[in-house]
Amino acid sequence: MKIAVLIKRVPDMDLRFKIASNGTSVDESGLKFDISDFDGYAVEAALQTKEKQADPAASEVVVISLGPDVVQETLRKAMSLGADRAIHLKCDTPVHDSYAIATALAAELKGGGYDLVMFGRMSIDTANQSTGPIVAELLGLPIITAISKLGLEGGRVKARRELEGSYELIECPMPAVVTIDEGIARPRYPSLKGIMAAKKKPLEVKPAQVGEERYKLDKMELPPERAAGRIIGEGKDAVPELVRLLKEEAKVL
Amino acid sequence: MTSASSMVFTVVVVAALGFFAYNVQRLVGELRLGHRDDVRWNDLPRRFWNLLQIGLFQKKIFRDSVAGPMHAAIFWGFCVLTLGTTEMIVAGMFPGFSFAPFVPAPLYRFYEMNQDLWGALVIAAVSFALFRRLTKRVKRLQGKETHADDPLLILSWIGVLMITMFASHATTGVLHDLFWWSHALLVLGFLNYLPYSKHLHVVVSLPNVFLSNTSGPGVIGAMRPMDLEGDVAVFGAKDVTDLSWKSLLDGFACTECGRCTSVCPANITGKLLSPRKIVINVRERLEAEAKGDHSKTLLDDFITEEELWSCTTCRACVQECPVSIDQLSVILELRRNLVLGESRFPAEVMPAFESMEQRGSPWAFDPGDRGKWAAGLDIPTMAEMAERNERPEVLYWVGCMGSFDDRAKKTTVAFAKILKAAHVNFAILGQEEKCNGDAARRMGNEYLYQMLAKDNIATLDRYGVKTVVTACPHCFHQIGNEYPQFGGNYDVVHHSTYIESLMAAGRVPLREDLHEPVRTFTYHDSCYLGRYNDVYDAPRETMKRALPMLNLVEMPRSKDRGLCCGAGGGRMFMEEKVGKRINAERAEEAIATGADAIAVACPFCMTMMADSIKSRDSHVEVYDVAEVVAGRLAV
Amino acid sequence: MANTNVFAFAESRSGELRRAALEAVTAARGVADSTGGQVHAMLAGGAGIGALAAKLAACGADVVLVLENPGFANYNPEALAATVAARLSAGGYRAAFFIASAQGRDLAPRVAAKCQLPIAADVTEFSVGADAVTVKHPGYTGKIIQSFTLRAATAILSLRPGAVLPKESAKPGTVEQITSAIDPSSARVVVTSTVRSEGAKLDLGEAPVIVSGGRGLRESGNFKLVEDLAAAFGNAAVGATRAVTDEGWRPHSDQIGQTGRLVSPQLYIACGISGAIQHLAGMRTSKTIVAINRDKEAPIFKVADYGIVGDVLEILPVLTAAVKEAKKGA
Repeated sequence: MKIAVLIKRVPDMDLRFKIASNGTSVDESGLKFDISDFDGYAVEAALQTKEKQADPAASEVVVISLGPDVVQETLRKAMSLGADRAIHLKCDTPVHDSYAIATALAAELKGGGYDLVMFGRMSIDTANQSTGPIVAELLGLPIITAISKLGLEGGRVKARRELEGSYELIECPMPAVVTIDEGIARPRYPSLKGIMAAKKKPLEVKPAQVGEERYKLDKMELPPERAAGRIIGEGKDAVPELVRLLKEEAKVL
Repeated sequence: MTSASSMVFTVVVVAALGFFAYNVQRLVGELRLGHRDDVRWNDLPRRFWNLLQIGLFQKKIFRDSVAGPMHAAIFWGFCVLTLGTTEMIVAGMFPGFSFAPFVPAPLYRFYEMNQDLWGALVIAAVSFALFRRLTKRVKRLQGKETHADDPLLILSWIGVLMITMFASHATTGVLHDLFWWSHALLVLGFLNYLPYSKHLHVVVSLPNVFLSNTSGPGVIGAMRPMDLEGDVAVFGAKDVTDLSWKSLLDGFACTECGRCTSVCPANITGKLLSPRKIVINVRERLEAEAKGDHSKTLLDDFITEEELWSCTTCRACVQECPVSIDQLSVILELRRNLVLGESRFPAEVMPAFESMEQRGSPWAFDPGDRGKWAAGLDIPTMAEMAERNERPEVLYWVGCMGSFDDRAKKTTVAFAKILKAAHVNFAILGQEEKCNGDAARRMGNEYLYQMLAKDNIATLDRYGVKTVVTACPHCFHQIGNEYPQFGGNYDVVHHSTYIESLMAAGRVPLREDLHEPVRTFTYHDSCYLGRYNDVYDAPRETMKRALPMLNLVEMPRSKDRGLCCGAGGGRMFMEEKVGKRINAERAEEAIATGADAIAVACPFCMTMMADSIKSRDSHVEVYDVAEVVAGRLAV
Repeated sequence: MANTNVFAFAESRSGELRRAALEAVTAARGVADSTGGQVHAMLAGGAGIGALAAKLAACGADVVLVLENPGFANYNPEALAATVAARLSAGGYRAAFFIASAQGRDLAPRVAAKCQLPIAADVTEFSVGADAVTVKHPGYTGKIIQSFTLRAATAILSLRPGAVLPKESAKPGTVEQITSAIDPSSARVVVTSTVRSEGAKLDLGEAPVIVSGGRGLRESGNFKLVEDLAAAFGNAAVGATRAVTDEGWRPHSDQIGQTGRLVSPQLYIACGISGAIQHLAGMRTSKTIVAINRDKEAPIFKVADYGIVGDVLEILPVLTAAVKEAKKGA
């Protein structure tokens, strides 16, 4: 089985961000980068799928990332987890238009002979959740998004999607595109053995064929600071005061 | 002895010695299966000193007040009686031989008297030993991993040896010959039985004590550095062939006494881990491997993950072993294999690893918040001082707990106040500080550790730091003892030592309170301060100087016998699911002293003790030594 | 001739209109009022779905395109996307509104792809001009607000649920029966069933009040106290932190946080929740936040408008009783 996983290099979300002086990007000083959360679940799902095959050695997990040269670090990280090879689609300027990005990804994926193309359900930084479906359309492949349970049976993808207060059981034939939600797999930790092996795995660099950009970033800004709150009391004796405030001040009761 | 029988005896002796030599060669061959690159000819003065103290003077043996004298009697007796045995065997081969012509007569009589005296002592000691084993059910002598019959056989054998010796002296004629030959054959037999028994320790223990690196100054506790750049086939150790020859020798030196297991905090509280079993397993696996069995490995087939992860790396086992075995090094090499080779470790540890890598701290705090505890205290960072072209007298290394944990921050502030009151010119690194990496290294994640250590060393060197003071024993141990492996050489002082020196110099202004009530404190020794670095007195002295009315009571297990709080070796980040909680065991011991407060000198110990005290609704308070002093500042 | 009509996708499930449908129509109405065009709302479902058209008209739909076909009883992404795309490609639409619900996030990009148009997703604010549309969209787990410009003859916008408040604006809502652009049974992606989650009442994305529980509740049985408080409010949903869903106390779909649900209710009550960054990312934009926690240094108190320090197991029953009282009087 041949599986492609599209991954994105994103900064660690636990830190406070500052906007760079150009107003359209995040100040990178002090930031640490890694594979975007959902993409990490996708990589793990891909690796587990490969490991479950009758002959795992005959399967291949290929990781692909679009961006400047630094994304090669992220591709190496994915290979240290177990991906077999990587493709870097080189693009030095940030692109925000999902359609334009999808054009570049589809151009690479077409003719790749992939049984499964996997995405994280959204990238944790730009959070558009659109690239996967557009790629699927450009490739003419069926796609199931935001999968929380993944099964492959008889050449079909059988999945579960979480909705609001309910869920769908959904399936499609392979080859297919899927986007992965949380809950399918916990990412593994790379062993040093894996990290060393990753250094020798093939990493191909190609120019990215990004489409026309019709959705452009104008600026980034920090959200307004929340006004400081206060602790109104201790223990159950504070409850009457809370109820009063909710009624009169916040007007939510 | 006729010349015919002496010829027969000579043949017997040659055969016996030959067979023994064969076994020695075989065992040396087994040692060769391990790693060769472990040099033990360095630091000869320390080695000879250890040989004298621990080997000849039985220093560690005496830590058990009952078995101590008993064993010393047997060992010293053995040394003395070897002289007599040698004389006897040579006389057997060359009739008429004696030491008498070679020494002054009084000395020879003194020697003969000692043969009898020590022979009698040995019989007494061996009888007591047998009695003890058969009737007293001493806990540490039992264990599934031990070879229960061997000691009984050996003790009896020694007893019979002594009896035949005395009997041969006391008889003549045929009876004498009978006892003489019995004694001689039993001696030669004993010698040749040793390689097949745990009693091999008779031959191996003194060399093992000499060759060991377990007793000495702080750097002794450092883990083996690993080169991660080259092509490494195996990370750490999966099997005995991946261990150093010295660890394999440890296996031969072990006499299964169980002292290590009896002081292991994990074992005491019901976990599977037994340091003795680790060592016995090494020998068992080595013997199987030497016989050609390649189907098993030390890791998983003999020693399980559960055992390995229970270890807090407190070093009590290493401290206790009378023949200087390093049980801990085997545990740590196997951990390295689990983590670096296979990413096998308790699931709850992963967030700590990821956080250390991404944020330089095992907890998900914003690194930008590191210096926040210092707000309003007028403490410069190294960066600020560098900008003004200034250098502090000392760098205060705060550590992750001290920077982020609410309870530990109080200790940080207390120590800072003391430094201020003493007018010490100090600075902190603030945001530039990263986790010292100890937890990562001890959990086996050498890769992550080296990343953190090298970053910290680069930062320290960039500022030309020479002296570091820290309130965390793990930071203390790392920066002082292990960072030199990567070129980071600094003078590191623990805060309790530093405070004591400031007090001794009269730099710390304390209140003159003449009506202080008596406070009863007990002090909990931190493993990484105590056993790893021999700092036992400074915290106690500091408290005595600070508190005029101090009643310091000691727990039964204190100083180098101190019971670990349970957080070391990365266990702070793991769940404790089996048996009794280690910190509960220690808290009970502390409460039982009747003290109204416990003093600690480590943020991990602080957390573990405070958590356990709180969970049993006790009113005993927990303070860091710095807080005790800061509470008495005259400000 | 410039496009003036505005398309709105009216989401429904199991024969019921979802709140997203009204939000989409309201958004479309606002734009149509300035372009002078019509609002065309599309409704798809099994037999009888047409009956819901009136509600769309009430929010401002001039025309309701009804696709009534058993092949759409369950969500049929390919057929639906093909049909919407065909409609948009037929021309005349300045903008097409979807709501980024679970379904909308799946449907809208499919439509954009089929129309070969760019998409503005998870939009919180927008302004549709003659030749450009400007939008705001939060990213980086809500820590950064990004502003974009979209240039296309038809702008496809997928709005964040709750960004637009449904508003009454009665219009004729003339029903136009339409057929699927492709045979629904030829779709490759098939939803075999749609299942309501056990005990699910109000969804986290729709509830004005959310009562959420964390590790401070100590054991899964204590979640009953959270459920009781939610019940006392009457219009509240129950949420959970990742710590609690990882332990298995609550289903994964209840998780509020960076990789779970992002919610923005009027009132968020955090019970026994310490306020880890991952959780804050999911609820930080709630209008009013109340926190109850034993530890006064817990990070949750830094974002809470009102905090009570104490044992959540003790406080919840008292609060539940007080809320019941307050609701009685109201």
